[in-house]
Amino acid sequence: MKKLLSSLAAFVLVLGVFAPAVFADNHGDMAMVRVLHASPDAPAVDVYVDGNAVVEGAEFKAATDYMELPAGEHTVEIYAAGTKGDQDAVISANVTVEAGKAYTAAAINNLESLELKAIEDSMEATEGMAKVRVGHFIPGAPAVDVGPIGGDALFAGAEFPMVTDYKELEPGTYDLEVRTTDGTQLIDLSGTTVEAGKVYSAFAVGTADSPEVLLLQDSAAMPSEMPETGFGGTADSGSNAMMLAAAFGVLAMGAGFIVFRKRSEA
Amino acid sequence: MRRVVYPITLGFLVFVVSFQLLKDEPSEETRVLSNSPEPTTTQAETIDQKVSTQSEDVLQSAPIEKNYDPAVMAPSDAAEGIVPVRLTIPSIDVDAPVAPQGYTEQGGMAVPNSVTEVGWFEPGTKPGATGNSVIAGHVDGRNGPAVFYDLKELKAGDSIYVEGKDGEKLTYTVQRVVAHPLDNSPIRELFGPTNKKALNLITCTGPYDDEAQEYTERLAVYTTLSSS
Repeated sequence: MKKLLSSLAAFVLVLGVFAPAVFADNHGDMAMVRVLHASPDAPAVDVYVDGNAVVEGAEFKAATDYMELPAGEHTVEIYAAGTKGDQDAVISANVTVEAGKAYTAAAINNLESLELKAIEDSMEATEGMAKVRVGHFIPGAPAVDVGPIGGDALFAGAEFPMVTDYKELEPGTYDLEVRTTDGTQLIDLSGTTVEAGKVYSAFAVGTADSPEVLLLQDSAAMPSEMPETGFGGTADSGSNAMMLAAAFGVLAMGAGFIVFRKRSEA
Repeated sequence: MRRVVYPITLGFLVFVVSFQLLKDEPSEETRVLSNSPEPTTTQAETIDQKVSTQSEDVLQSAPIEKNYDPAVMAPSDAAEGIVPVRLTIPSIDVDAPVAPQGYTEQGGMAVPNSVTEVGWFEPGTKPGATGNSVIAGHVDGRNGPAVFYDLKELKAGDSIYVEGKDGEKLTYTVQRVVAHPLDNSPIRELFGPTNKKALNLITCTGPYDDEAQEYTERLAVYTTLSSS
């Protein structure tokens, strides 16, 4: 009986040791999504994810910052601003997002054939290089090249509604242009600066008559871990507390044995 | 029977109570409480709370016409920024040389070996440029306090000065001071893209984990450029 009790006590003690440990919940199961309004003739919109408003009043050319969404399937609905409840969604689509990945959800094409295009964004910067890609979101515009003015194309033959792969460029300032594949300039991008360790998406939006480029920054050089900024010289560590507490416990137990033994003897 | 049960129960109770008491007390010295009286510090204590308050916000403010954070655009006037060589924070008596730092072998942010020097994350953004610049420093050495020991005393509104290698001076203003758990720190929020010209200071805080030989939290001081 005594043996059972003491092993029980040991078990409880062990439990007590582990119980205070804090289990931090992790955000490893989240995805990041940003929304781009690239439909030139569509009104301002509200975007709902799983029935909750996440973006309101986004006009043509608006791009939101990344928002966190749990990984998995979500229903994305886009309404003309302020019309949810009165009108049907202009787009309703199911999208699946994976943990740790980032996406751009773009509303593209003219209003009458509006569609939702979801593309994955790179979160991986390259050391010492800039990473750039180009998206062609101008409905009705021909295939385009992007490159230095009068020079060889860096991105060739991008058609609506295509997004190219990322390409590594030397950091610096470029005089770029978006031109049709036969060389007619559509957009002058002189003085475009790209920096080392940064990731960019250049989305061409608008109409064939008034095209323009939104140059968004997708990511930057980031460490995978936080810096280790302490050696513990000013910390009284938790395990010291544990030792002390255990010592107190044992003392109390011993004292208890003596006191209670005396009593039962008396 | 009682002879056995009472002492064991007593011992166990004393252990639990004293552990709880002891556990919290020593860490107070190095831990920064996110619940400082400044209202700004409560804005985003952890990612959890931030996310939930954001979505609540969105739901409650339905009639607002425009309601979203704009994407990070590549700056049209790509500010050059400066290579920092000295960091001064008069309110906590910090005046320290700044050394450029890169990555550790594990891909984390490297820090200086010195406890009197601070490190600037060189692969990231230069102070003065659009983006998140990061400077990290030790909270303590093996035997005593280090350069960022008093960082937890900073409050919203405090000024921070960064000097460049050509003598340029930048002034940043503290926005908020937040302790993040190590394994759940918002690395992108601290290091990633932003439309602001921000400088984030990082040091260690929270309870020290003897086994892992590191602190279990990181203190982040978020500041933005106020003048150059």
